Amino acid sequence: MNGPLIVQSDKTLLLEVDHEQADDCRRAIAPFAELERAPEHIHTYRVTPLGLWNARAAGHDAEQVVDALVQFSRYPVPHALLVDIAETMDRYGRLTLSKHPAHGLVLTTTDRPVLEEVLRSKRIAPLVGNRIDPDTVVVHPSERGQIKQTLLRLGWPAEDLAGYVDGEAHAIELDEDGWALRPYQKQAVENFWHGGSGVVVLPCGAGKTLVGAGAMAQAKSTTLILVTNTVSARQWKHELVKRTSLTEDEIGEYSGTRKEIRPVTIATYQVLTTRRKGVYPHLELFDSRDWGLILYDEVHLLPAPVFKFTADLQARRRLGLTATLVREDGRESDVFSLIGPKRFDAPWKEIEAQGYIAPADCVEVRVNLTDSERLAYATAETEEKYRFCATTVTKRKVTEAIVRRFAGQQILVIGQYIDQLDELGEHLDAPVIKGETSNAQREKLFEAFRQGEISVLVVSKVANFSIDLPEATVAVQVSGTFGSRQEEAQRLGRVLRPKADGHQAHFYSVVARDTLDQDFAAHRQRFLAEQGYAYRIMDADELLAES
Amino acid sequence: MRPPWETLRSPGGHPADGPPATVDRMSSDEKPAAPRSLAEDLRARDDGSLAALLRARPDLITPVPTDLTQLATRAGTRASVVRALERLDRFALQTAEALAVAADPAPYEELSGLMAGDAADPAVTAALPRALGTLRGQALVWGADDRLRLVRTARELLAPSPQHPSPTGLGPTVQEATAGMSPGRIQELVTTAGLPTTHDSVSAVTSLMTLFTDRRRMAKLLAGAPAESREVLSRLVWGPPYGQVTADPAAHLRWLLDRGLLLPTAPGTVVLPREVALHLREGRAHRAAEPLPPAVEAAATHRPQVVDATAAGQAYTALATVEELLKDWDEGGPAVLRAGGLSVRDLKRTAVALDVSEPVAAFWVELAYAAGLVASDNEADERYAATPAYDEWLEQPPAQRWTRLAEAWLAATRTPGLVGGRDAKERTLSALGPGLDRSAAPEVRHRVLVLLAGLPEGTAPAAESVLARLRWERPLRGPQRDDDLRARLARWTLTEAELLGVTGRGALSGHGRALIGAPAGKPAAGASSGTTKAGGRRAGSGVDASSAPGGSSAPSSGPGDTAAASGPGDKLPVHHHAVPAHALSPLTPPEQAVASAAAARLLAPLLPEPLDHVLLQADLTAVAPGPLQRPLADMLDVLAEVESKGGATVYRFTPASVRRALDSGRAASDLHAFLAEHSRTPVPQPLAYLIDDVARRHGHLRVGATSAYVRCDDDAMLNEIMADKRAAGLRLRRLAPTVLATQADPAALLDGLRAMGFAPAAESAEGDVLITRALAHRTPPRTAPEPVPDGPPTPDPNLLTSAIRAIRAGDLASTTPRKPTSADPAGGELPRTSAAETLATMQAAVLTGETVWIGYVNAEGSATQRVIAPIRVEGGFVTAYDHTADEVRTYPLHRVTGVAELADD
Repeated sequence: MNGPLIVQSDKTLLLEVDHEQADDCRRAIAPFAELERAPEHIHTYRVTPLGLWNARAAGHDAEQVVDALVQFSRYPVPHALLVDIAETMDRYGRLTLSKHPAHGLVLTTTDRPVLEEVLRSKRIAPLVGNRIDPDTVVVHPSERGQIKQTLLRLGWPAEDLAGYVDGEAHAIELDEDGWALRPYQKQAVENFWHGGSGVVVLPCGAGKTLVGAGAMAQAKSTTLILVTNTVSARQWKHELVKRTSLTEDEIGEYSGTRKEIRPVTIATYQVLTTRRKGVYPHLELFDSRDWGLILYDEVHLLPAPVFKFTADLQARRRLGLTATLVREDGRESDVFSLIGPKRFDAPWKEIEAQGYIAPADCVEVRVNLTDSERLAYATAETEEKYRFCATTVTKRKVTEAIVRRFAGQQILVIGQYIDQLDELGEHLDAPVIKGETSNAQREKLFEAFRQGEISVLVVSKVANFSIDLPEATVAVQVSGTFGSRQEEAQRLGRVLRPKADGHQAHFYSVVARDTLDQDFAAHRQRFLAEQGYAYRIMDADELLAES
Repeated sequence: MRPPWETLRSPGGHPADGPPATVDRMSSDEKPAAPRSLAEDLRARDDGSLAALLRARPDLITPVPTDLTQLATRAGTRASVVRALERLDRFALQTAEALAVAADPAPYEELSGLMAGDAADPAVTAALPRALGTLRGQALVWGADDRLRLVRTARELLAPSPQHPSPTGLGPTVQEATAGMSPGRIQELVTTAGLPTTHDSVSAVTSLMTLFTDRRRMAKLLAGAPAESREVLSRLVWGPPYGQVTADPAAHLRWLLDRGLLLPTAPGTVVLPREVALHLREGRAHRAAEPLPPAVEAAATHRPQVVDATAAGQAYTALATVEELLKDWDEGGPAVLRAGGLSVRDLKRTAVALDVSEPVAAFWVELAYAAGLVASDNEADERYAATPAYDEWLEQPPAQRWTRLAEAWLAATRTPGLVGGRDAKERTLSALGPGLDRSAAPEVRHRVLVLLAGLPEGTAPAAESVLARLRWERPLRGPQRDDDLRARLARWTLTEAELLGVTGRGALSGHGRALIGAPAGKPAAGASSGTTKAGGRRAGSGVDASSAPGGSSAPSSGPGDTAAASGPGDKLPVHHHAVPAHALSPLTPPEQAVASAAAARLLAPLLPEPLDHVLLQADLTAVAPGPLQRPLADMLDVLAEVESKGGATVYRFTPASVRRALDSGRAASDLHAFLAEHSRTPVPQPLAYLIDDVARRHGHLRVGATSAYVRCDDDAMLNEIMADKRAAGLRLRRLAPTVLATQADPAALLDGLRAMGFAPAAESAEGDVLITRALAHRTPPRTAPEPVPDGPPTPDPNLLTSAIRAIRAGDLASTTPRKPTSADPAGGELPRTSAAETLATMQAAVLTGETVWIGYVNAEGSATQRVIAPIRVEGGFVTAYDHTADEVRTYPLHRVTGVAELADD
């Protein structure tokens, strides 16, 4: 009666992290419960149908789940919840997708009424073909993803036993010379490979690219890698050449400028979703080779058309990589059903504790609007309000103060509004990278920054993702895309690469007090706060006085 | 159920073995004649058994009968007998049914034969004395064992008739079935059956009956029957015993009909006589006699500790839920519907607020109501609200609070399970509304819990077996249904007990056991010696031996079983239970109080101890890892929003919630101190900052109401006013250096200031100086009143002309002397002429342009006289200038009673 776990009636599990059995408990509940928040004392997990079904898919049964809860629970577990868990898990596997020697892909059931129920659904009807016998129905092979997704929505998840195609073989080896995969990276690759397809969630800077490389070395087949932008594509290529047996010639780039298709092809989301006359000409890329593995970098950004196409790729192994699986459009579950369940998830603080990402000091600096700005803000149109408060001149002063304080270190100033960034660039005497900056120019500036030739770089949201700037130690965020949680996390991620001298990273978010900016900031910080990053809050005056 | 009167007679069934105890008692006085009526039988009983009778059938003593004859009469009334029959267990009812098809009076052997069959099923024979004892005790059966008589009303109710087939499926006797048959036909039957002819029909029927009841001869007779005939018999044997035949029956039917094995009842209908059916059934009146109650089966077994902990957890949830419900209703609960009760919308809202389903919400609402914690306020705008008892309840320790709820639940006749259903008039039954009372509810609840207590600790019963047991104890007469009220009540009891924490994971918890006064520890069957503080008084009686699982087949050491198993002929005195009669009925209030106290003692240590601390986290949440002490919980409820409930509570601090705390009168420093005191860890910086940040802005703007103000650019003058004693009455307050405010009205303020020698000017709402002159009170724009003339207005010439014309015409009509016509009766009446004459006169008048005088009946049937000048006559209508109305009108001719010429001037 003194376990570390408290089971709430709303199906959240509260885990007291300082409890002596906390680690055992965490291991016991991790297979079926989703880590929702990980602040300092009590971690919150949530039991969802999806989580329970994934646990079933991974070979856990209801008995184990109930045992785990009952064993570690401090208070009696509500009976209704246990019944609910058993019933939910029991729904998995009543339907099975498998390969039939004569009919190809078929959906079979062990419980005929369930099949009757789902076949009666209007959304299922177009996806299936003939009824072979009372318990079996043919599924169009191209609808494998679609039917899985639909069945999931209907609450009868299908167990997919139809397997994967191996794809075209291609020798890929990790080139572990002077480095090695970290334990959690190995674990992630292993979990992914064991599960077939799925998503790996690792903090920014924790080496997701290497997990991708590890997966490729496991698959040893042609691979399609989807990334967010060209700069990121080049980084992937660079990294793969450095870390694996692959050579420059084996890796192709498929982007706006180049259209190479090689055994390992790196394509950008942007080029895939380019639309001409209502069609996506570049989606053919998916069929251009017999890919054995498809890698989705920053899977939380997966655009809708790629979603749709991914549904048709269910026979290929898919690996999604992300740091922040939160989507403001709430389509996380689509990622899970189309790419696969979460195969590995490490809380940021845990990786930090292992020393693989730099510890970060997060500070929210509150600035006051000047009197005239307050008046302007009060009278601004609703859609202009955020712009008004986010670009207050006081922020410039604070930013300058921060830059002065950390003089000598590599500093990134990140913002949303180009005017504001240009002005900051001017005052800080630093180059500005924005949407109109050419790729060549961007790479040149990034390289100069990496080499320490430039110590301050002002960037717009183009640098949110996948820009590897290991030397950056201080980030100053002056404005953002409204309340986007993943943007905040990604920006913090820019400074989390472990530092050569092991010192702390600093993340400053400059926020205008008593305005929309402050509300958005509170929302933006939620993801990181739930990961255990505690923001200190400072007044601008305090900061200005210090410096 | 072991009936009380079992103790009053020996289980011996054979008179030869010795008379039953009752008779025995009397035999000491004199050898009594066998009782000739129920009244005599009752008279012979001792007070104890009469008391038992009255306890079992309390309707007999309202009002108290004057003598035993009256008591017997009343015991024989239909209503009372029906009530008594409905309360019999299945075996006793089967026994009564068997008696109803036996001879009247019937010896014990016959009854035993009917119940146990030719094979003399030992289980039935063993149980029969008890059942008969039950029936005797309830005054449904009387007479000694050699002359058992079922009271007449009961016999009528249970005996088979074509209208009411007996549950036994037996038909009428040979005698009854042959009542209307011709003597010749009866002799034919006798002859065909292979019997000698007799002198009269009566002896013929008797000999036929004797044949049918003689197993050996009957077997021989049937052995000769064609296979199809035997098949027909086997179809009818277990009832219904009636069959259809054609006018010219097939040979195999004829074979049966010729021998009286089937007897005609009506044209085309035949019946299997009772004696034949009994032969085929090997003497059994029931296909399956059920001498023993079905055992309550275990569905699952948990460790008793797990059960108790789960139940305690749920008990705590119950308390929290009721509290939450009433807190939700604290500021204006839902309105009371005109017909009483809670509207569906309010119930839905409550369900959402409590995060439960609607039926469960209905349960909590009804529970709070039954416990007297919530009621209607009976105001004009009637609403539900917590009662003062709720505040007292809140002050009690948790275990007491729980027993209060549990007691209310046990005793309540209100059944939340019905909510949402419809009553006989198709009205929806609403929570807290009328029509939810079911008087059987407390008894069923108690009974279900007692059955649960009969299982070993930690055992959850299979619900179906509980229902089966209840059905055995109180069978429905007539067709069996699965959803009768008692079954539904029992199902609800099982779910509600779980919700309330009386049971945990389906098994009765320790405190639940104590609550119903059942002894703790072992199953109650063998518990006559195991007494506890709570159950001591009722030990061995709270649960009867037969409710023990398996106790049915394997006799235990329980005294009850000894008696049952020893069978007829056992003359040993039977162990007397103290007062087992109300094992069926709930506890009396004093007993319940003792039981509740015991339950509370057991429950108290299982409930979580309230904590005095929370864990504060940097993501602005606080987690209370268990229930909190009340002041702490109350404060946190104000200071933060609840995000998740259950064993623990997760609170989130938001600017709004912090502001709420500041609004309630706490200063930021109070909040900091409060958090520091109750947090085990340092208060996170963001939280401290949040409080300061909200406090910084809190109260920055101030809002108040004032009635008048004084403003002056000269601070000194205002200082002067404030300093002036005469200004005290004006209650001036300084809002700013140049503004004073007051609650006095502007006019009084002006007067006051003038009296003090100042010369204030009044200001309008827009800040303009008001000129005194302009102060005169004005209405909004108004129109001048219309003058009211002394009399009617002077008429204009047109009107006058018309008026005069009308007056004249009327005058003409009434005063003109008429030409007497043949059809014209006395003056003053309507002219009457024949239709042809009317038409002719009209047409003439058209031609001549004359004015005529008509009688006319309008559509409402009222008759008038009119003077008209016809213009046109066509299609049955006359169009004319009506002098009376002063306009041209059209009259249907058939409405004109008659026409007369005006007298010439």
